Amino acid sequence: MTTKDILKKVRKIEIKTKRLSDHIFGGEYHSSFKGRGMTFSEVRPYAYGDDVRNIDWNVTARYRTPFIKVFEEERELTMMLAVDISGSQWFGTRGQLKREMITEMVATLAFSATQNNDKVGLVLYSDDIELFIPPQKGRSHVLRIIRELIDFTPKHTRTDTSMALKFLYNVLKKKAIVFLISDFIDENYEDTLKIVGKKHDLTGIMVYDPMEKDMPDLGLVTMKDLETGKQTFVDTSNKQVRRTHNANFLRRQDYFKKSFQKSGSGVIWVATNGSYIKKMLQYFKARS
Amino acid sequence: MKLFEHYELYTPYALLLLLLMPILAIWLYRHRYNERAKFLYSDVKSFGGFKTLKNKMIPILASLLLLALTLTAIGIARPRSVDVTAKTKKTKGIDIMLAVDVSASMLARDLKPNRLEALKKTAINFIKKRPNDRFGVVLYAGEAFTQVPITSDQRIVMQAIRKINFRQLFNQLEQGTAIGMGLATAVNRLKDSKAKSKVIILMTDGVNNTGEIDPYTALELAKEFGIKVYTIGLGTNGYAPTPVAVNPDGSFVYRNAKVEIDENLLKKIASETGGKYFRATDNSKLNKIYKEIDKLEKTEIKETKYYNYKELYRPFVLIAIGLIFIVGLLRYTWMKSFV
Repeated sequence: MTTKDILKKVRKIEIKTKRLSDHIFGGEYHSSFKGRGMTFSEVRPYAYGDDVRNIDWNVTARYRTPFIKVFEEERELTMMLAVDISGSQWFGTRGQLKREMITEMVATLAFSATQNNDKVGLVLYSDDIELFIPPQKGRSHVLRIIRELIDFTPKHTRTDTSMALKFLYNVLKKKAIVFLISDFIDENYEDTLKIVGKKHDLTGIMVYDPMEKDMPDLGLVTMKDLETGKQTFVDTSNKQVRRTHNANFLRRQDYFKKSFQKSGSGVIWVATNGSYIKKMLQYFKARS
Repeated sequence: MKLFEHYELYTPYALLLLLLMPILAIWLYRHRYNERAKFLYSDVKSFGGFKTLKNKMIPILASLLLLALTLTAIGIARPRSVDVTAKTKKTKGIDIMLAVDVSASMLARDLKPNRLEALKKTAINFIKKRPNDRFGVVLYAGEAFTQVPITSDQRIVMQAIRKINFRQLFNQLEQGTAIGMGLATAVNRLKDSKAKSKVIILMTDGVNNTGEIDPYTALELAKEFGIKVYTIGLGTNGYAPTPVAVNPDGSFVYRNAKVEIDENLLKKIASETGGKYFRATDNSKLNKIYKEIDKLEKTEIKETKYYNYKELYRPFVLIAIGLIFIVGLLRYTWMKSFV
């Protein structure tokens, strides 16, 4: 991919997701994640129904009409986006790869954050931390995040969720809003999650492809694992094989939900053929 | 190796293709995943790694393919069965009558161990060398008889010669040397023969001194029937230890006696019948004589061998084609992949 292509793609995602975050998302996000304390923002003419206690008498006396003080929430929030870019993300059968969908989701979240004057950081991980962009404000910073998501080539292919969580715990000193976006084809992250969930406001987003849930009968297929690179013949026409596959997916999804909820974190799961906006809106509404 | 005796390969070098089979097998194993389109999947583990019947069939199909190629290589080598209907036209040999003098003088020791034994040995060797001829044996002393009539069963002839026992004959036969009788008896045996060439080998060590038929009459008979007579005179030049009397216990008394051979008669017989006269003064000479007769009576052996070949590549190739067909059929039906 040339730089031109990347920029084009970044622009495309920006247009698509910025609209989303402005119109649909912005408010929901704002109200979902609250800051601490109130600061004075401005005075405006009194309107019917305003709390009389907030009338600014000095200004009212000067202008001879009632003015009221407006306070704003103090928002100095940090949003951390931890994205799994292991080999398994390069799978997708419904028009887009899991990774492509994740890129859009991350862009939407990042734009929503900047709009609300929050800082956004990015962690790309596989079985190692591939990239860390410290939280910053601004549109150009978000664009950089999107560019990395599109173009970054990971050095490793496997997944280690637990390691990523530990990193998030160590690198962020203050409480942050953390979105952990992965397909969660991984195990044994429950214990780490408990610790990290206490410190941060954590949300897990599981992205999966419908084929990962229900494998259709594809005959005798030569499969290559995207993470381990191992090759095997899989007889997908065998019912037992397909049933085992489905059971394993459900078990994984169940483990994901249970372990996140146990740690007090939120969960979203979305298929590559589904609408992530709907799912996220539902989630934010339920939170606020 | 009895089994393969009647089989051969027309192009055995084609079997070198079999050397490629292990290489091919390794190649097939290495590239077993490359044969089909690969499905890059995020989580292969979750299929549980079941080995279903189809999984197990994959190596079997590969081995069947290798087997098919092996059979094809054998087919290319063109195996065929050979049925040699050889010697269908067995050359008609000649008929040879050995007329052997068994008079007492044959025990003379100028040939080793004595004339008779030397003769027996040489005669057997001679017969062995001529497998296509028929032989007969006539023995004569004072009178003559047919030991073996003319026959193609050479074993019997050789056995008969080996069994010539002087002492037994000495008691049975009249003493003397009846060359005429011997020759006539031999002629009698050959006269009805239909062989291309009829030969008598007449051996003697003395002078015709008895018998009802004199040698010249016998000679005429031989000529009459177109029989060639080779004559061999046995005995050294000069004197030889010869039995002259019998002891009371039956053993012989040896005394040096002058060797007398009626060479003129023998030469005459030989030349008039188109044969040849030889003189054997010792064992090696005798051997040479037989070798010469062997050469002179060379029969041209025309042996036509009929090779009946039956090509056997067909089943190999058919099985190979069948196997490839089955492999292909399974591969693209039951074991197909939609990826």
